[in-house]
Amino acid sequence: MRDSINQIIDSLLGPLAGLIRSLQEWLSPILPEATWAAYLAFALYVLIILGGGFMAILARNLVRAMLGLVLAFLGVAGMYLLLNSPFLAFMQLLIYVGAICVLIFFAIMLTRNTAEGEEARFPSLPAIGYGLLAFIAPLLVCGPIIALHSGQIDVHVPLPSDTGVLGQGLLSAYVIPFELISIILLVAMAGAVYLGFRGFAPRKKGQSQ
Amino acid sequence: MDLSLVTFAQILVAVLAIIGLMVANAVVMVYVERKAAGFIQRRPGPYEVGPWGTIQAICDSMKLLAKQIFVPANVDWVLFFLAPVLAFFPVLLLFLPIPFGPYLTGLAVPDGIVLILAFAGFGVLSNLFAGWASNNKYGLLGAARAVSQSVAYEIPLILALLAIIFQTGSLSLTEIVEAQGSYPWQWNILVQPLAFFIYLVSLVGETNRAPFDLPEAESELTAGFHTEYSGMGFALFFLSEYANMLLVSFVCATFFLGGYKGPFLDGIWWTFIKAYLIMFFIVWIRWTFPRVRFDQLLNINWKWLLPLGLINLWITAIIVKLLP
Repeated sequence: MRDSINQIIDSLLGPLAGLIRSLQEWLSPILPEATWAAYLAFALYVLIILGGGFMAILARNLVRAMLGLVLAFLGVAGMYLLLNSPFLAFMQLLIYVGAICVLIFFAIMLTRNTAEGEEARFPSLPAIGYGLLAFIAPLLVCGPIIALHSGQIDVHVPLPSDTGVLGQGLLSAYVIPFELISIILLVAMAGAVYLGFRGFAPRKKGQSQ
Repeated sequence: MDLSLVTFAQILVAVLAIIGLMVANAVVMVYVERKAAGFIQRRPGPYEVGPWGTIQAICDSMKLLAKQIFVPANVDWVLFFLAPVLAFFPVLLLFLPIPFGPYLTGLAVPDGIVLILAFAGFGVLSNLFAGWASNNKYGLLGAARAVSQSVAYEIPLILALLAIIFQTGSLSLTEIVEAQGSYPWQWNILVQPLAFFIYLVSLVGETNRAPFDLPEAESELTAGFHTEYSGMGFALFFLSEYANMLLVSFVCATFFLGGYKGPFLDGIWWTFIKAYLIMFFIVWIRWTFPRVRFDQLLNINWKWLLPLGLINLWITAIIVKLLP
């Protein structure tokens, strides 16, 4: 039964697929090669990341700034796709867009702030200096490493990795970094709870509100 | 991944088919919902337009298309118009990895369920932007409720799905269906009844449907985050709400009810029968249960569903480890 259905579907879709394949062969001199498509996608993602980043910094109200952050995260997810690891790309969206940004939005709503963004004044000169320092620091660290070891860096597209292999790596060879990251999250959470409860005096019994 | 023209053509055809499915689903479900609500509340429901009121939903959508788009003063223009678009378009992607039939999958992604969960986050974001941008206190309150609700209900939902993923050892929806048999006693619902229950409760919370429709509670917030939307903006929110319902029903059918497998003859019909039974269940409980209070909503989640989900996952992990 299943085989006969399969045959029917094949006979229906076969000519269509053949038509598209012949179209592809016919168009192949005009169509860009895969590497060019990859460069194009890379440029697009870089533009999205930079545009989102600038929007996050320069926007005068917080929610617009968060929209910029979402754009930047989207671009990074695209970069992961380009690196042949769709699982990481989806996780980037799931965690950063689906959870982190939503929580930032929550924080914006809990704090008193107006739509016009009263905090958005032009930053002071030292603040700009610190910002530039923070911008240059990764370059200062990563630049020499890349320059010294440029011969050893593999610039080829990595092979698609199996999600199972990734999980086994995280729980065997890289288990200590993996656990350390969760400790950082725990510390951050404990700090948030401490800061949140510091202002409150414990409520006396029988006292309403 | 092979990025040939064939793949592009396949994605294009799949997306077009999904748009058709979304629109047809919304039209049918609006009618079913109003008729079912009528019968549950002992009134006739729509009956004037067409035989038994069947054309009512089409007339309603025509009205929405023709309506003037009204924009209140001092809205954030970019976010106000981005929000409905952001609600509608990611849903198209979510239907791609679902195996509708043995040979009918939009795009067989190896990590299909991760794709669905990743892009489902944009729905919440659109609710937030809509509520915030419309410069309306009801909208803002609706958005604030949407954020805490969706953050909360996403966790037990993922925990319930994780139990099945542990058991199958795969993130691909097709492989999860293949691991189940054709008859009801071979489906995951009998192996993981607790996970099924947790998923069923949190899917209602995740799709913002009554009794968990706090972000748009009509009697408190007029319409919550989409109070200020009219015409096509409202229609896009409406379409994406019904599409989200359909999506969680399809995922539920795939994970717990054997997907396209069924007695006598496997095929696309079983997927649709199961998904629409769950859709009818969602409609049914909307008109049967009263809306919960907001603290009750969060307590159900954090004090009951989350510990239950964790215990279920823990037991599943132990059994999977002991019985390979």
